[in-house]
Amino acid sequence: MSSVEKNSTPSQVQNDANSVADNTTHFGFQTIDKEEKISKVAGVFHSVAKQYDVMNDLMSFGIHRLWKRFTIDASGVRPGNKVLDLAGGTGDLTAKFSQLVGKEGQVILADINSSMLNVGRDKLRDRGLVQNIEYVQANAEYLPFEENTFDIVTIAFGLRNVTDKDKALRSIFSVLKPGGRLLVLEFSKPEHEVLNKAYDFYSFNILPKMGELVAKDGESYQYLAESIRMHPNQETLKEMMENAGFEQTSYKNLTGGIVALHKGYKF
Amino acid sequence: MFSSNRAVKLSEQLMVPQFICSVVELIINRALSLSNKPITLSAIENKTFTLELAELNFPLSITVSNNVLLVNSTNSTSDCTLISSIATLRQLKAQQQLTELIKQEQLDIQGDIKVAQQFARIAEELDIDWPTEVARHIGDVPTHKIGQLSQKAKKSISQLFETLEADVGEFLIHEKRLAVTNSEIKRFNQGVEQTSDQLTRIESRLAALENRLNDSQ
Ligand SMILES: C[S@@+](CC[C@H](N)C(=O)[O-])C[C@H]1O[C@@H](n2cnc3c(N)ncnc32)[C@H](O)[C@@H]1O
Repeated sequence: MSSVEKNSTPSQVQNDANSVADNTTHFGFQTIDKEEKISKVAGVFHSVAKQYDVMNDLMSFGIHRLWKRFTIDASGVRPGNKVLDLAGGTGDLTAKFSQLVGKEGQVILADINSSMLNVGRDKLRDRGLVQNIEYVQANAEYLPFEENTFDIVTIAFGLRNVTDKDKALRSIFSVLKPGGRLLVLEFSKPEHEVLNKAYDFYSFNILPKMGELVAKDGESYQYLAESIRMHPNQETLKEMMENAGFEQTSYKNLTGGIVALHKGYKF
Repeated sequence: MFSSNRAVKLSEQLMVPQFICSVVELIINRALSLSNKPITLSAIENKTFTLELAELNFPLSITVSNNVLLVNSTNSTSDCTLISSIATLRQLKAQQQLTELIKQEQLDIQGDIKVAQQFARIAEELDIDWPTEVARHIGDVPTHKIGQLSQKAKKSISQLFETLEADVGEFLIHEKRLAVTNSEIKRFNQGVEQTSDQLTRIESRLAALENRLNDSQ
């Protein structure tokens, strides 16, 4: 089956972002211009794309697979559903969804970064997953889909990289069908202080070194650690979802709150 | 000591169900690929069979996709769900007992029974040495404990599958309809009581109206 590459190129995306009024945002702990963030995040993911899966397994001790399974289990996906795996990168969630929605369903793997999309497409094709998957290069803030298109939207470890998260949440809300749901899987705030300290030590001392040794890219992994720290905590993200229009919002802490899965419905 | 609620929450946080599902998924797909005679799954493509066992605080759903079995911990999409406990399944020896257990509300099958039978057929064809396979993935020590449990589970589940396999579909559907369970009787009685209450209220309102009508004449 053919897979379709659509819409916005990175430069278009950047132009769109440039048209957003002024001001600054975070890139890890640095404060930078909003437009600069897009190209810096792009730089990080172009640089890590090839090693992304190996590093994911290594850094999380394989636990990211369970976080993703948990997300699939919580999604209530059914055969025939239309699913958007936003910031889907190398397509772990897409692969599972593709198997569960069957021939009648469809999964769209959307990411702003062409290198990540390419790695994802090659991986899924090698696994024989072709018939119900489309690949779309797109910015979460400006989703190029009609209103009321998807039964499920997921964004796993993607939201913290997005420049204007509120805008992205509104954009997701619009492309969901009434009754559809959003699942946000993202690093969050550990519930216990001891775990928080241990996790901090791991993130800032061990993780960048691992990045340096294995992927020869300590800087990108330093950004990863910083961006996790700057991401809104559980309650704040829940509130942001509600502000974007989501209802019946809730979250579940996983692995002591290192990661949280937020869920919200559009009615 | 944890209360059972806290234990469930902890198991959820540590994603124990997802871990178990991924190990089971690995093992059955390995067994499928090692099977001497090819096992075709196309008849149940995209069908889901769910086991809800009292001993596990989460459902185990098996879905067929492209000749692979996916194991998940959700019951949102089940075509057929079997609700029981390993302890109950161990009692299962003959067809008659299946109906007995349903009557006693110790076992329930919801959804399309044919799906359960088709999965049963696959389970019959697969011969999995669970302890050895589990040991391959998680090591010998925990496997020893799991092994003891799984021997029991294996016997019970294969017993169940044999019973399901013996084409009990019609019989079961028939029996399930005839065999009125205690909770159904309770629900029916409540319904009757409610209706009779409503009737009494209507009667007294009618009487009051009649009186008013007589008075005004
Ligand atoms: C850490 S990866 C996560 C990939 C995948 N979802 C996973 O869980 O393995 C983050 C992804 O978000 C993408 N991303 C960053 N900013 C984005 C944006 N504004 N719109 C869409 N995708 C974005 C990156 O290109 C990258 O592939």
